Amino acid sequence: MSVYSIDVFMPVLILIALTVGVVLGGHFLSVFLAPKKSSKFQTTPYECGELPVGMAWSMFNVRFYVVGLIFIIFDVESVLMFPVVSVFKSFNDMGRGGLALIEVLIFMLILISGMAYCWRKGDLDWVKSYKRKQVE
Amino acid sequence: MFLTVLFFLSATLTIASGIMVVVVRNLMHSCMALLGCFIGVAGLYVTLGANFIAAVQFMVYVGGVIILMLFAIMLTGNKPEEKVGSFLLPAMGNRRTLTWGLITALVFFLSVGKILLGMFGIGLGKKTAPTDPSLFESTVDEIGTLLLTDHVLAFEMSSVLLLGALIGAAIIARPETSKEK
Amino acid sequence: MNGGLIPYLSGFDWFNQTIKSTSAFLSFDTTSLLSFLIYAVFASLLVFLVLMPIGGLGTYAERKISADLQARIGPNRVGPYGILQFLADGIKMVLKEDIVPVGADRFVFYLAPLLAMVGVFMTVAVLPLSSGLTMVHLDIGVFYLLAVSSLVGIAVFLGGYAPNSKWSLLGGMRGASQIISYEIPVVISVLAIVLLSGGMSFDVLVGSQGGLPHRWFLFHNPFTFLAFFVYFVGALAEANRAPFDLPEAESELVSGYHTEYTGMRFAFFALAEYVEVFVLCAVAAALFLGGYNVPGELLKDHPLGQLLQLGAFFTKTLILYYVVIWVRWTLPRIRVDQLMTICWKYLTPIALFNLVGCALWMYCFDGKSIVSLLFESGVGAASGGH
Repeated sequence: MSVYSIDVFMPVLILIALTVGVVLGGHFLSVFLAPKKSSKFQTTPYECGELPVGMAWSMFNVRFYVVGLIFIIFDVESVLMFPVVSVFKSFNDMGRGGLALIEVLIFMLILISGMAYCWRKGDLDWVKSYKRKQVE
Repeated sequence: MFLTVLFFLSATLTIASGIMVVVVRNLMHSCMALLGCFIGVAGLYVTLGANFIAAVQFMVYVGGVIILMLFAIMLTGNKPEEKVGSFLLPAMGNRRTLTWGLITALVFFLSVGKILLGMFGIGLGKKTAPTDPSLFESTVDEIGTLLLTDHVLAFEMSSVLLLGALIGAAIIARPETSKEK
Repeated sequence: MNGGLIPYLSGFDWFNQTIKSTSAFLSFDTTSLLSFLIYAVFASLLVFLVLMPIGGLGTYAERKISADLQARIGPNRVGPYGILQFLADGIKMVLKEDIVPVGADRFVFYLAPLLAMVGVFMTVAVLPLSSGLTMVHLDIGVFYLLAVSSLVGIAVFLGGYAPNSKWSLLGGMRGASQIISYEIPVVISVLAIVLLSGGMSFDVLVGSQGGLPHRWFLFHNPFTFLAFFVYFVGALAEANRAPFDLPEAESELVSGYHTEYTGMRFAFFALAEYVEVFVLCAVAAALFLGGYNVPGELLKDHPLGQLLQLGAFFTKTLILYYVVIWVRWTLPRIRVDQLMTICWKYLTPIALFNLVGCALWMYCFDGKSIVSLLFESGVGAASGGH
């Protein structure tokens, strides 16, 4: 097992600092160089030339939230898979690849069955609920 | 040296944005402060040498949970003052919330106190031998090996848990269509 | 750590001499200080001399290639063949007024471009330019890259939310849901490659491939061949490139999530987007196309070999970059429901199938590539035939 120095994370911090610097620098550059003559109509949100009606922050469809939920589930799955998959080769080299393979397959089969269920029930269709909305 | 800098940066970010989450009135800004808090916690994981967990923190919490929260905010009411939460909820500052808040604060104080006592050597638990904190070992292979051998049941069970969550999420989205039939 | 900038430099005598002499002079161990300085200089060079020109030239290449594809001329006024157009554009961006719409959420409005830039530029820390000139080969390399780039999704959402404009909001919601949906097939395709190479670090991932195509993971087995295309389509969608450019669909959403952004802030969004395309192409090149490997491992231990590796890396990445632009100007935009269908009913199942297939392949054939298996069977048949 190799030992690393914490210094390997220096570039990450440096890059964050550099990027923040670039963005702030660009901001100040435009503060000094750009004209400032905002009029009332210039600062209204763009709505194809019409005056905007109401706020844009309205209630959104629940489908986006469901997409987010499903994403988190698969995200956690991939996070669990990453360390397992990266030792798969060394397990295989040790001659215990069959064990690892079966465990990984069971793990994935359970998830794939969930996905198959959703597919069968039509939860993966975007249009179905769309039609329902039109009926209302 | 770098370890100290990283630790103090992440700790400051975590605590400052943690306070912001509670103090800020605007829900969206509160969510942004939570984003800062998660990033700070990821930094703290890095100082502990758990770089895989730090990346997991980024992937799941920053990339997933924050987005989900933003979507959830977009789901709420039509009026902007409802959406960004710039008015007082009735539950804010009544007796029941204050009681629960006090109990939470007490538990939190006790757990922090135990850690602080341990730092000053009056600890109740055993002390571990100090190692050079600026060196760490790669934890990925170890996590993977443990997941495939000792903790294989937990690994498979987590898949069942995720299956439940997946079906739950699908059913949440469904009630409208089932009523139709 | 057997790769990265500092371990590479510590193979040279002058570097160790400098550490020794400065340590003696300042009377403490200057390894950290010196590596900090080197990282800082290298990061600045990378950001200002590689990424920003790539972002800028990306816009130029986009316009020039689209012009070629549509039998037009494209920008040809500024500099030879109009190649300095991006500088002119940059100056124009700086000189434009910075408008914040009425009723916008100012804090979030300022934060969104910053998050997009940070999310993209943080990935550069592990980008495998060559075996020595990579900033650092983290042991979680590609996972770190995927994790960090998820900040872009938040930035797109916030960019759509902040200005309180309807076009922006529609674009931002679409963008965020599209980016997170397509992250799934991308991540699972990457998992298949991690499985075959046995590590997440880019030096392991690239090191287990070779310079010539038959040792690339692209031609390792049929599953990785499919995985490459799944990854590439997913990457197109993650970078909001056509045919998946719904978040900024010009003909329906004006300009999507950056409708209300002007001047420098718009420039930052655009820069982040072009650099993200570059980073995703670089990952595709590193994972599937052999990365910085030079055929025959030419000049492997010589400093000039690093230049050859840089050449190999940039050639592969820029060819993919060209393909991305080519695809944009060839295919029409898809609909939202098609977008979700492609992600959940095609790419994700195929990616899962690829992962299972790669695991089976690893177990059955000990991770040998199809070429070496064919070669072995050919040799076996030839020797057994007589």
